Amino acid sequence: MNFSYNWLCELVEGLTTPPQELEQLITMKTAECEGVHAYGEPGSSMADHIIEIENKSVTHRPDLWGHLGLAREVAASLRLPLRDPVNLELIPPANPAVGVSILDLDLCPRYSALVFDNVTVGPSPPWLQHRLEAIGLNPINNIVDVTNYVMAELAQPMHAFDQDLLDGDVIFIRRAREGEMVVALNEQTCRLDPTNLVIADARGAIALAGVIGGLDSAISPRTRRIVLESASFLGSSVRRTSAKLKLRTDASMRFEKSQDPANTVRGLARAVEMFRQVSPGIQVVGGLADQKKEMPPPAPIELRLDWLTRKLGRALAPAEVREILERLCFGVEETAPGAFSVTVPSWRATRDISIKDDLLEEVGRMIGYGTIVPQPPLMAVVEPPASPERMFHRQVRLVFTQQGFTEVYNYSFLSEERARALGFDPAAHLAVANPLSLEQALMRLSLLPGIYRNLLENSKHFESFRLFEIGREIHPRPQGLPREVPHLMAALYACDGASGLAELKRAAECLLPGAEARPAEARTYEHPARAGELLWRGQVVGRIFELHPSLLNGRAALLDLDLDLILRLGEPEKRYRPIRRHPASAFDLSIVAGERELVGDLQRHTVRLAGEPLVDIEFLRQYSGPPIPEGRKSVSFRLTVAAADHTLSLEEAGAIRARIIEGLRGLGFDLRL
Amino acid sequence: MLETTLSQVETSARARIEAARSAEELEAVRIEALGRKGALAQISKQLGTLAPEERAHAGKLLNAVKQALEEALAARKARFEEEALRARLDAEWIDLTLPAPGVRPGSLHPLTRIQTEIEDLFTSLGFAVLDGPEVETEYHNFDALNTPPDHPARDAQDTFWFADGNLLRAHTSPVQVRGMETLKPPLRMIAPGRVFRNEEVDASHEHTFYQLEGMLVDREVSVAHLLYFMKLLLRHIFGREVTVRLRPGYFPFVEPGFELDIHCLICGGAGCPVCKQSGWVELLPCGLVQPNVLRISGIDPEEWSGFAFGLGLTRLAMMRYGIDDIRLLQSGDLRFLRQF
Repeated sequence: MNFSYNWLCELVEGLTTPPQELEQLITMKTAECEGVHAYGEPGSSMADHIIEIENKSVTHRPDLWGHLGLAREVAASLRLPLRDPVNLELIPPANPAVGVSILDLDLCPRYSALVFDNVTVGPSPPWLQHRLEAIGLNPINNIVDVTNYVMAELAQPMHAFDQDLLDGDVIFIRRAREGEMVVALNEQTCRLDPTNLVIADARGAIALAGVIGGLDSAISPRTRRIVLESASFLGSSVRRTSAKLKLRTDASMRFEKSQDPANTVRGLARAVEMFRQVSPGIQVVGGLADQKKEMPPPAPIELRLDWLTRKLGRALAPAEVREILERLCFGVEETAPGAFSVTVPSWRATRDISIKDDLLEEVGRMIGYGTIVPQPPLMAVVEPPASPERMFHRQVRLVFTQQGFTEVYNYSFLSEERARALGFDPAAHLAVANPLSLEQALMRLSLLPGIYRNLLENSKHFESFRLFEIGREIHPRPQGLPREVPHLMAALYACDGASGLAELKRAAECLLPGAEARPAEARTYEHPARAGELLWRGQVVGRIFELHPSLLNGRAALLDLDLDLILRLGEPEKRYRPIRRHPASAFDLSIVAGERELVGDLQRHTVRLAGEPLVDIEFLRQYSGPPIPEGRKSVSFRLTVAAADHTLSLEEAGAIRARIIEGLRGLGFDLRL
Repeated sequence: MLETTLSQVETSARARIEAARSAEELEAVRIEALGRKGALAQISKQLGTLAPEERAHAGKLLNAVKQALEEALAARKARFEEEALRARLDAEWIDLTLPAPGVRPGSLHPLTRIQTEIEDLFTSLGFAVLDGPEVETEYHNFDALNTPPDHPARDAQDTFWFADGNLLRAHTSPVQVRGMETLKPPLRMIAPGRVFRNEEVDASHEHTFYQLEGMLVDREVSVAHLLYFMKLLLRHIFGREVTVRLRPGYFPFVEPGFELDIHCLICGGAGCPVCKQSGWVELLPCGLVQPNVLRISGIDPEEWSGFAFGLGLTRLAMMRYGIDDIRLLQSGDLRFLRQF
């Protein structure tokens, strides 16, 4: 929102702070400024500076949506007097010339109106047009311009109806009927329902309450008599209507913030004065029409000086607190030494300030947070709860970076198209209801889509690379929040087609000593002959595979681990066993088996047959070719055997070897001896 | 007579020891002079023919020559070994500038690095490191954080929603709520994590970014305490005192709420595109915990108070490493990531 420096100068008596300094002051004391820039020809009567305030920083401050509110802050910060432009005596004490009937006092806590006659509609004088233009509002005509001027000054949105175009003498404020139509000032036709509040005459809706006026009763050059509305509407109701109809106006933005009902009559009084300047001969007809919900004044807030001091961590004098609050127009009564009863001004009471903590902020920002000296607290020494998952993920990161993998972060989103391309069912994913683009349609069920993108992109720049990600898979559940499972996915790429599976398996073993791979049925995106599961401590903890060659130029080996499961399985307990005191003996075995017989199976058989005396088994090599028959291979292991209590004799070692050989033959394997 | 012969043998043997070019030649000299059938052995045989008094004298002479030659041989042999060792070592020359083979370690993501540092700092100060779901309930993301039902932050345009009313957390603050639900006060916690905003992506905006939430609830917590922790945090991250300013900021879950700005580290406060020419960078929204937030999570605000902060990890990483395009962080581009 834009504020005119000149306008602020009119409202703060004796303001001489230059615009740039004022911007800094506002940022430090009140609300975030986005910048200040010169406006109009320097030296001309229009020359001004515009201070832009970040809207998000004043959503809780309805009063700051007008110049007077900001002027009040500036005056308080600089200890200068504020000039209130409103003269309530301009409203004649007479019976109202129009009836007001609020049918829903919750949605409209107050509606005030005043009727004017002998109106001349035409362009506003240049000074008024310039002032509106300076803060980004378009001049329309003198009547509408005054309503906008008062809004920009007092934060009170107003609307003028052409009284001759209204049906009847009563303004109704009611919920819209189902299907009721209204054509807005911007010529948008709106179809309404009972959640929308409307202003209506005897015939039907003439305005969307708090959002926009209707075209049918709009001010035109022919207008002679007007009804000027100044009302207060429930913020959430205005916001709903404005969001639903996609109609965001200067009025709705202000009403959303819960405007002060006490401000409606002030707005009318200010308008009377302005109309007299811009529409000579204009006359007020009758007196104020005003209906409102009776609400008890907000209870005073009890504020204790010692509490304030403890919370800020800085000593304060009672007089200092009183002075600050009074400058900000709070009523302050010292009920006992160091105890205040604080009354909140109406424009701060709608939702901004209700508890003593809110007053703490008022005092804090005015003394300046820079005056508070940082102080370490005295606290009990308490052991924080452990976070084993975090420690484990750190370990995983360490292992994989040490094995040459670089960490990537990928989005949690994927498109339906990408899901299908990799063979995932889009319907199995959690779908985002309001994605900004198709790329954010689904939540990932696997880290693969992101890693796949990394492979495609990086293969343009590197001949080979290794990367990994730790991230969460999002698995929808019929009820409640989805299951979020942390996974590791590591990828090893080579453009020359060399397989990285063995190297990736080695990396996996660095993390999971003793992990085993076993072939498994390939998924759509996996190489059908190079896909398997990874087992650790007897459980399937992940998959190891090559990406299907049709998906990528070059070759990529991938590892996918369920980190949650691995953490649950835990590390095997470590126990020291006495070092063997008797020497062991070793011998080699070469087993001849079918070409696709798994080395892992052969090793498992051998280990089982060797039994107790086996200390170690080491895979040496596999070989096919003469003299091994076609379609078969020879697999060699070195076995180390020993007894716990003596040195094995040559005969004993021989007997063990013979037993294993016999067993393997029994399983149908040949041996090369 | 014998003396002359001995002297000749010694002179001749010494000459040949000196002349020997290899260990083998030296050995041949030794055998000729000192061997069982060598020159000295021959002379020794003649000793028997001498008169006893002459024999003793000649024996002494013989032994002296023998010892002298053995010493000469040993010295010469040592030189040979030394030369041989020197030659071997020289032959073993290796070019140390040759690139070493094998795999190099990969890099940790810059966000991981910075997050780890901050986790370690706060852990050392007795803070728990907590985690929460990325898909959150509206209750944890908004209601329990004192965000009114009609607050603009709830607008669909800022938040990713799901059909069942759940959402992608828009900040790490819901973990505060989960922390208060599970831990009893006094409590100290941080919660780093991924958050989501429904925003168009450009060089300075992302729909996915990282925050680190912090909360401390104790008996008497003040703005001065909050400031102490914030300055400590920044000093730790940047390795030096950082100029900060605290100004009012509005968040429904803190009262009073602050924006903590640091002097822009890119331009040193002179004004640059990163700080939008202001010299200040907004880094750390924080404040004292709103009493309602405590109350909603079952903590009595008359008894307990606290502070909370939400550090923009992504922005911090950008400041720390001079990264000028936020999109790089989730690009997976190794040309970028390998620099860390």
